[in-house]
Amino acid sequence: MWICVLLLAQIVPIPAGLDIFLPAPDANPLTIEKIKLGRQLFFDKRLSRDRSMSCASCHDPKFGFGDSRKLAVGVGGKLGSRRAPRIVNRVYGSSFFWDGRASTLEDQVLKPISDPNEMDLGLAEAVSRVGLEESTLRNALASYVRTILSGDAPYDRYLQGDRTALTEQQRFGLKLFSGKAGCASCHVGPNLTDERFHNTGIGGPADDGRFSVTRKPEDQSAFKTPSLREVALTPPFMHDGSLATLEDVIEFYDKGGKPNPNLDSDIRQLHLSAGEKQALVALLKALSGKIREGP
Amino acid sequence: MLVAWSYLCSAADHHSVTLHGGPSHDGRYLSFVDGATGELAIRETATGLSRNITTKPAGSKEFAYFSSISRDSRKVAYAWFNDEGFYDLRVVDIDGSNRRVLYRNEQAGFVQPCAWAPDGKQILTLFFRKDNISQIALVPVDGGPPKILRSLHWVYPKRMDMSPDGRFIVYDSFAATDAGERTIFLLAVDGAKETKLVDKPGNHLFPLWTPDGRSVVFISNQDVMSVRIEDGRVLGEPKLLLRDPGRILPMGITSDGNYYYGVRSGEVDVFVTDFVNPAARAKRLTLRFPGRNSSPAWAPDGKSLAYLSRRGTENFGQESRTIIIRTFAPDEERELPIKLAHIERVRWAPDARSILVSGSDNKGRGGLYSVDLQTGSLRPLVVEAGASFRGFEGVWSADGKSLFHIHGDSGLRLGDKVLFQAQGLRNLVAAPDDRSLAFCEGDDIVIVPMDGRVTRRVPMANVNELEWGSSLIAGTGSDLWEIPKDGPPRKLAAPANRQTGMSLHPDGARIAITAGRISSEVKVLKLSLK
Repeated sequence: MWICVLLLAQIVPIPAGLDIFLPAPDANPLTIEKIKLGRQLFFDKRLSRDRSMSCASCHDPKFGFGDSRKLAVGVGGKLGSRRAPRIVNRVYGSSFFWDGRASTLEDQVLKPISDPNEMDLGLAEAVSRVGLEESTLRNALASYVRTILSGDAPYDRYLQGDRTALTEQQRFGLKLFSGKAGCASCHVGPNLTDERFHNTGIGGPADDGRFSVTRKPEDQSAFKTPSLREVALTPPFMHDGSLATLEDVIEFYDKGGKPNPNLDSDIRQLHLSAGEKQALVALLKALSGKIREGP
Repeated sequence: MLVAWSYLCSAADHHSVTLHGGPSHDGRYLSFVDGATGELAIRETATGLSRNITTKPAGSKEFAYFSSISRDSRKVAYAWFNDEGFYDLRVVDIDGSNRRVLYRNEQAGFVQPCAWAPDGKQILTLFFRKDNISQIALVPVDGGPPKILRSLHWVYPKRMDMSPDGRFIVYDSFAATDAGERTIFLLAVDGAKETKLVDKPGNHLFPLWTPDGRSVVFISNQDVMSVRIEDGRVLGEPKLLLRDPGRILPMGITSDGNYYYGVRSGEVDVFVTDFVNPAARAKRLTLRFPGRNSSPAWAPDGKSLAYLSRRGTENFGQESRTIIIRTFAPDEERELPIKLAHIERVRWAPDARSILVSGSDNKGRGGLYSVDLQTGSLRPLVVEAGASFRGFEGVWSADGKSLFHIHGDSGLRLGDKVLFQAQGLRNLVAAPDDRSLAFCEGDDIVIVPMDGRVTRRVPMANVNELEWGSSLIAGTGSDLWEIPKDGPPRKLAAPANRQTGMSLHPDGARIAITAGRISSEVKVLKLSLK
């Protein structure tokens, strides 16, 4: 088994800028068979109650495995309260869903199937429809999601030493990103997320966010930092889709978020000039690269 | 497993030996940086003779840093601070010939070669990027882009090493999110698997493979330990090899089992003494933490004093420090429990209710923070990702309304407003009359009113600190100088072992100084490999 896993890890090509290390639990090592099966299941509409939608309906490859709609839409047109996130590079994740209620992909992948607001299909019925054990369904979907990778963006090529990969404006944006604007305080590392939870004031107190999982007051209305990979592909932005453009996002953070008792201590007024705001937007557009999936 | 230890060399044997290299696999050589010149050097262990194997241009500010000798003892990989102001990864033959740049990328940040692959085709290298990400990378010796195996947020592994069969890497990192303590991880070179080697409470770091590939030797709290490994899995419990060897920096293990490590010895402490005759009546300040203290700062009322006290036994990189508040009536000291990754220096706020701290937080952001003296709560004042871990130098105006700081490479600022634009400013102080600031620029002490216009320049080289009480005081090496309002600097009495870090008492008669000596030695511990 160890030899088999070694070979398989080399089969999944890693785009430039991402780690070669692809974390997977001991109980669910990556295999070609599981990845292939997981891909079929990801696009299989039998996994929704009325057979109208698959995982890919909200995590559309055309949109960086994310959604172009403001809020997630489930079977029968049920409107969710949050956006469907992009799921590129989730192999590197350590918390899943906007509120982090799942800590592994194995824990995460079946929840949307049974969620009444999403695919609304009981797991017993789901495994019956596809003729698989629940563990097989879970492990295959998790394995496939681990192969959905985005990298080799201009940003990556610049960090690898290609000084021409970013424009002068984007290079200025990168300096602001790590410096004055403080974006890198949360959007950190190759996947541009700290996998932690922050209250920016977006959405107000109506959505408990992380608090619904931890019941800690300091987690009230805190949401997970999303990866910025392919961010330009999927407006509108934030967990509730309330900001229409990247310019709106920068403007929001420049003003120091939305004041509330739990506002994250890292969110503060930035006093960015118009040119600085434009440079940050330009940098965000340089985070779109090459998306690959499957074996 | 321990048979004996022996002494190899010290700073006294060779001028300014640094501990940032290591032994060759066959034990014939030890690489190090000649601290006096910044050149990479090789010491032949049999003869004790040393020679430089790099040559930099005259007047250059370039220098060598970490190094690693190839397993066949023919080449040395080393970090080189280049003429553009960042670090290259370079390779040179052991005789000093064939020097070449292997990887030059400003965005890679700091580079630290740690080990050669067994076939000599790749160098295990640590990158530390400007965005505070460290990356475990394999750099091909024959060119080509590095392979990034693993990225780590806001942590710099103290050491990593590759197994003799080339299949695994061991490194230390934080044991968990928000954990201050480290543990040892084992990462498969193909990226397929990572496991925690030591899963016990404590601080575990500096892992090195034994030459037979069957054990990893590491530091656990104050002790040297080892753990057996087979096919990437731990066998049994870690075993004690050597108890508390002091402030240790492991350097490498040779093929015959000699474990090379550097030890830092000596004491540095804070003393309170007479300003006019500091060596005569110096009194050690601390009540409970002798030998590990620095950076004193008198409170505005002169009734208490803050200083930094080192914690832990690590002998590399950022020291773990805490803030101590010493009062004299009653005679007490208490530790401020604050969560910062590094504390460089402290200064009192004019209202004496808080302390201004230069340093960096656990997200790798450097800057200035305010610490409430009653609650210990921390408030960022000027903090940025990408700033030095030492933070910014800052001073309050005497009325407590203005915070001046030196902002990285962009000059003296009041808030966002740039008052004095220049690179490399340092040693910022404010006059007690709240009218002037002083700082160093190159080989000048610059005195400006609070608006930043230069009123006076005093030529003085190698100033390592300024202090402004009844007069402006400058430190150069162990010497102290008074800078009068007019006329040339006047040399003051100072202990020969004075270190950077002083504070004048508001009464003008007393001074708190830092003094002591720290030296480094390289020692060898013989490991039994059976």
